[in-house]
Amino acid sequence: MPRRPFRWYDAIGLLAGLVFALFPIFWMVSTSFKPTHEWAATPPAWIPSQATWANYAPLIVDFKDIYVFGHGASWQAMMHSFIVSGAATFIALVIGGMAAIGFSRYQAGGHTLAIAILSVRGIPTVVIAIPFLILFGWLGLRDTHVGLILAYVTFTTPFAFWMLKSFIDEIPAEIEEAAMMDGMSRWQAHFRVTVPLIKGGLIATALFIFILNWSEFLLAVVLTEKTVFTVPVNMQLYGGMAGIQAALATVAALPIVVMGLLIHKHLARGFTLGAVKR
Amino acid sequence: MVTNTSNGGASSLGLRKPRRFDPNDKRIIPGLLITPVQILLIVMLIFPFVLEFVISLTEWQPIYGDFWDAFNSVFTQKINQGISYNYLVTDEPRYLQALGRTVIMSVISLCLEFVIGLGLASLFLKKFWGKRVWFTALLTPMMIMPVVVGYTWFMLFQYNGPINQVFGWIAFSPVNFKWLNDATLAFIAVIVTEVWHWTPLFFLIMLSGLNAVPENPIRAATVLGASNFKIFWTIILPNMKAVIIIAFVIRGMEVVKLFDEIYLLTRGGPGTATETISLYLYKLAFEDFRLAYAGSAAFIVLIITVVLINMMLKPIRYQLVEGR
Repeated sequence: MPRRPFRWYDAIGLLAGLVFALFPIFWMVSTSFKPTHEWAATPPAWIPSQATWANYAPLIVDFKDIYVFGHGASWQAMMHSFIVSGAATFIALVIGGMAAIGFSRYQAGGHTLAIAILSVRGIPTVVIAIPFLILFGWLGLRDTHVGLILAYVTFTTPFAFWMLKSFIDEIPAEIEEAAMMDGMSRWQAHFRVTVPLIKGGLIATALFIFILNWSEFLLAVVLTEKTVFTVPVNMQLYGGMAGIQAALATVAALPIVVMGLLIHKHLARGFTLGAVKR
Repeated sequence: MVTNTSNGGASSLGLRKPRRFDPNDKRIIPGLLITPVQILLIVMLIFPFVLEFVISLTEWQPIYGDFWDAFNSVFTQKINQGISYNYLVTDEPRYLQALGRTVIMSVISLCLEFVIGLGLASLFLKKFWGKRVWFTALLTPMMIMPVVVGYTWFMLFQYNGPINQVFGWIAFSPVNFKWLNDATLAFIAVIVTEVWHWTPLFFLIMLSGLNAVPENPIRAATVLGASNFKIFWTIILPNMKAVIIIAFVIRGMEVVKLFDEIYLLTRGGPGTATETISLYLYKLAFEDFRLAYAGSAAFIVLIITVVLINMMLKPIRYQLVEGR
């Protein structure tokens, strides 16, 4: 498109967009530093009069107030979230990546499999959470790491498959053929030539799926109780205490935002399943 | 049709073969590569859905004890088959209302996201100071987790929160909108939250679409004296058709799942004013524990979504699968 000059009304539009986008984030961070009496003050305090780190305390020490939650400090929730999201991300990458190679190189499974995997994404989470609850209760997987990991893998494999497929499609099959000419087996050609070539895409996909797993709320709330609790579930326990929630939210959101900004070139590809390249 | 003509002829070693599971093809690798995902689909999706369907034919609730008895009763005694389905469609207005509300909410927020996203994207075709920084800043909302989005907007929409304060400054008198306690305002609040969260994605997709619009037709039209609107309507939009369809289909699939933000903002309230289908099912299954009944409701939703997804994917299916 031919470039047009930047006019004053463009600046107003940009400013409005920026304010709309950033104000809630500013408010969240600001609230996390407010002392207790300013959490819900009238008129609202925009900037804390006396900034305090007290709201971040429940992260490290067990929160004891009128309510006793019996869940321990929130860093445990971070740990649980990290274990579950990390493991689920890894498994989804392996399963999805293998299928992506199979599909991209051999059309294995055909359109039917590809579209079936895609449909998983459009099914509302609640619809599958109901049978999961029954099934996991029967298998004894409720409230365990394994159960949650399995559930997460089911939901993120489509992303892994489609995103990796779009990366593998960009690597010409002729490179693998050349490697096979030089004496590599088919497996070697796939895993020692193609996989290193898509390393950047692999990392982007991993971070993208990690973000999705870390943010997942509904399955975590349904399938866990006391032993395994993730960050979003843990935050819910501090209902009514805006400052503490804001502090936890800030800590939980920060690594995700950083990761997201690192892979922002690939975000469009991730969310559109590889249909939009950049 | 899966035919790959781009390098089919050049492929001497049989990679990128156009046909799959060719009876003469004894290679085992393609099958092995997709086996894990097939196992996952069967064990974690097909089987649970069968379970859900069978359960939906009973009246089982967790307090009745082991569900296998209920499971067997479907086959041994012919009790209650399909009663909950009948009841849902004829006697439960809340269910159909939730379905309709989900559609209305989705359409409104998608259109808003599209317009705002396209507007911002067209700004970013121009040159201005600090472009990269503003670009990153605009993308940030998309990366915040839904639960945090819910909390944050819950704080903002309080009756003594900053939004009412700003409106008060504009109106020169204190305003007291009860955002989350009024049916219409709560609906607006949910849509604003959703728009805030996902406009950046539309912005990204639209920007990539706009960048791909060819320059020469626009130059020619400008020389011939076409108005900006005419150029937009007859050159830019038709060129972006594919991208726009993709954006709407992909976001449409996501937005009907909307749950976390509403759950934290209003819990579907006041009354049932913002209750989407996900929230309705959640309340039914995990607050009232009427799992069998919720199962039948969920099964209808499942059928609708699978059919809808396949219909919506029709126009972009080839592009997605072939990746070019």
